[in-house]
Amino acid sequence: MKKVLAMILVLCLVLSLCACGSSDKTEEPATDNKTTTEPAKKEEAPKPAVESGVGTTLAQAEDEEKVEVIENKDEINILTNGALVDGKFPETVTIKVECYDRDGQTPANDNMYTDYIKKQALERYNIAVEYVPVPRWTEVDQINNLLAAQEAPDICYTYDYATIQAYSDMDGVVDLSEYLTEDYKGLFANLWNWLGSAGLLSHRDPDTGAIYAIEGKRAEYYRTATFIRQDWLDTLGLAKPTTVEEFENCLIAFRDNAETLLGADASKMVPFSMATDAGWRASTLIESFMDPDITDKELYINGFDERHYTQNGTKDAVKVLNKWYNEGLIWKDFALYADGDATEGDMQKAGYVGAMICNYDIPFRDGENSINYQLTQLVGPDAKFVAVDTFKDKNGGYSKYAYTTTGSDRKIFMPKTNQNVLASFLFLNMITDPEIINYLQLGEEGITFTKNADGSVNIIAADEEHVANTINSQYNIDYTMTCNGLHLLDEESTIKSKALSYANVDTNDVAEAMRVAGNDAKFAAQVNVGVIEAESGLGNTLSELRNAGYCKSITAPEADFDTVWNDCMNQYLTAGGQAIMDERAAAWQKVMGDATMY
Amino acid sequence: MSKGANYIEGYKPRRMSVATALKKYWQLYLLLLLPVVYFIIFRYKPMEYIIVAFKDYKLNMDLWDMPWATTKKEVDIFKWFVKAFSDKNFHTALKNTITLNLLDLIIGFPAPIIFALVLNELTAKRYKKVVQTIAYMPHFLSWVIIYSIALQLLAPTSGLINIVLNNMGIESIDFLGKADNWVWTYIMFGVWQNFGWGSIVYLAAIAGINPELYEAASVDGAGRFKKMWHITLPGIKSTIVVLLIMALGGILGGNFDRNFAMQNKLVLEKAEVISTFVYKRGIKSLQFSLTTAVGLFQSVVGVVFLLSANFLSRKLGERGLW
Repeated sequence: MKKVLAMILVLCLVLSLCACGSSDKTEEPATDNKTTTEPAKKEEAPKPAVESGVGTTLAQAEDEEKVEVIENKDEINILTNGALVDGKFPETVTIKVECYDRDGQTPANDNMYTDYIKKQALERYNIAVEYVPVPRWTEVDQINNLLAAQEAPDICYTYDYATIQAYSDMDGVVDLSEYLTEDYKGLFANLWNWLGSAGLLSHRDPDTGAIYAIEGKRAEYYRTATFIRQDWLDTLGLAKPTTVEEFENCLIAFRDNAETLLGADASKMVPFSMATDAGWRASTLIESFMDPDITDKELYINGFDERHYTQNGTKDAVKVLNKWYNEGLIWKDFALYADGDATEGDMQKAGYVGAMICNYDIPFRDGENSINYQLTQLVGPDAKFVAVDTFKDKNGGYSKYAYTTTGSDRKIFMPKTNQNVLASFLFLNMITDPEIINYLQLGEEGITFTKNADGSVNIIAADEEHVANTINSQYNIDYTMTCNGLHLLDEESTIKSKALSYANVDTNDVAEAMRVAGNDAKFAAQVNVGVIEAESGLGNTLSELRNAGYCKSITAPEADFDTVWNDCMNQYLTAGGQAIMDERAAAWQKVMGDATMY
Repeated sequence: MSKGANYIEGYKPRRMSVATALKKYWQLYLLLLLPVVYFIIFRYKPMEYIIVAFKDYKLNMDLWDMPWATTKKEVDIFKWFVKAFSDKNFHTALKNTITLNLLDLIIGFPAPIIFALVLNELTAKRYKKVVQTIAYMPHFLSWVIIYSIALQLLAPTSGLINIVLNNMGIESIDFLGKADNWVWTYIMFGVWQNFGWGSIVYLAAIAGINPELYEAASVDGAGRFKKMWHITLPGIKSTIVVLLIMALGGILGGNFDRNFAMQNKLVLEKAEVISTFVYKRGIKSLQFSLTTAVGLFQSVVGVVFLLSANFLSRKLGERGLW
């Protein structure tokens, strides 16, 4: 009996293995594999054209000549080898496009705005668009899974280039250089006019000419600012702090006057709030400790970590935080909460927090749910966060890093499973059409925005009757994937409208936050000295170690600070941080020689 | 083969052909078919992906077409194993996995046995049932919820226990943010979650003990503890051994969600275990080959532990798993 059983089991196993084997074989010659390998071969031909076109340095998009759209349909037909007839695909082509899902009021992949985009794509090029929602805060994990399962959308985006590099190392990404040549410029005029070669060619490999991603562009450069509770300063008769010492005194005053400020909730006082992404949440402080005259070379070599973990000066800044932590000025429990936990936001809204460093618009985001609006509701009409410039660098300025228009936004790439790269490019070109961007950012007049006499627009929240019109992310940036930030048809009204674009909060506060975030702003040079192989796949691992390093150093007992900082730094460096810095230094030397500025 | 319990001297089992057996017991085989298919599809078929540990993973390629792992253009199929073992973070994860699992075994394993023994001694039926139900409940909570409870109870400033301590004039204890404290918090929450549920098997085993034994012992003048020691415990010894062997097999395994939900940035040096390491390196950082190698190593060690524990228990006169 047992033997029979065993035999059957074995038989089943063998049979199943045979079945797997044969099914694998039948899959092989299917179209899947062929079409994915073919473009790789084609790419080799047009390479010289790209190489002769642009050198390794970035050209400024603004200075480039305006590219004229090809109007002649026959010319398009010839250019695309007959793929486009009358400017359209003769048969409907379906492409899948990624969009971030931020749990908004309308589904991210099916709402008024996606319907609008789908309609436009069908009318213009006969392309049927399908949106694939990907949760915003776990986007990289999700895309990893989709790629591994060969089910990734045809057009994907992410903020982290090292991730894309890891994909391309595994042969998972289409080389886009074939379509980024002079010949195709007229067909993708919107892309060239908005992104320019700075956006389209910045990731070109100096050796092979391959381009695995194109850069979206930020329409604004504000990054982070320091915020403090105006009403608390007023109550305690304090002036807005202008130096780190004054700021510290404010925090001490908040701590010592908890009873006055919070009454029965005094024990909940948090003078300065913090989160596990401490490098971001202390950015203005850290940047004030960095050398304002830092060379591009130094910034680049230490710059893999965009939270400045390995830059000179960072340690001193964290030492200040450590001192504050041990004096009870920083939220004691911050490191115990997971990334993205809502506890801190709730404390800010409930009015327990005195100061913080964060994105310049965090207190104003989300209309009725914004921190500043909630404060007026829960605490009192005067309660609000205002932006202050308080951390002076060694030259006496308030230097802080701002976003460069290109190099800091989303990188768009196409997985090898993409069956129609041309259609994907046409879609990207369409979504970069200024008219479409304008519509997506504002929605419909009277419902999601109103026009002022001077041409500027007020963004308003859609009322209950028009919930369907609710803009999905701020300015719908998840759909306008080549454009991040307000960018209307008319430049002047864009500037005037920016501060007005936050519903339910005082626009003067928004304008002031923008002024502060832009004051003495520095822009990191966007260096491309070739692929740094050591970076591949390490983005996530190293940022984990960096976050842990920041958190542990801030919360260490004051006497142990140096040991803890050094231990954590060592771990970061041995896990790959050092190899990246060495390779970056060598690559810089090779391309730039002894020059220290890019 | 050892002599089974129903071995009869002189009896020779007749060889039955597969066809006759199938014909005779076809209902049984039909019943067996479903689990067999299940195991093949979900447990054996995916095993082909083990081969990724010896290859350089490519996103666009079929599993069998991927190239063998190479270093400097030479085939080196153990590249990922070498890489894993020279990685300090993997060492930490390995050490932590063993430490945490061993502590779990030492403290967590006896807990349900003791609980079962105590429950067995209770005479008030209704009270016993209430206690049992309450003890089972934590088993149904997910670890994310348990960590939230831990935060509410133990956070230095807002945790209930620390607030009570502060009011008594004692400084807050950082149960979650200090690595050494965290280990005990982790173990204790593990015991708390599992002791009730784990006791079910032992209670069932105790129920199978012949009551006459207790009666005879009473006649002989044995008290409660004597009965527990000389009847109940030996009665459930084989159950204990089987569960112990299974626990030893999982010494390098571990519960992903428990570690992942409980860990925070401050305690990673003690909290990072193999499963979370694999998740972070494999899923989040795309090093599929490296993490498959780690996973394979983990499984092989697990099997070795399982087999040796089984072997030992049989040597010591117990039944073992098979």
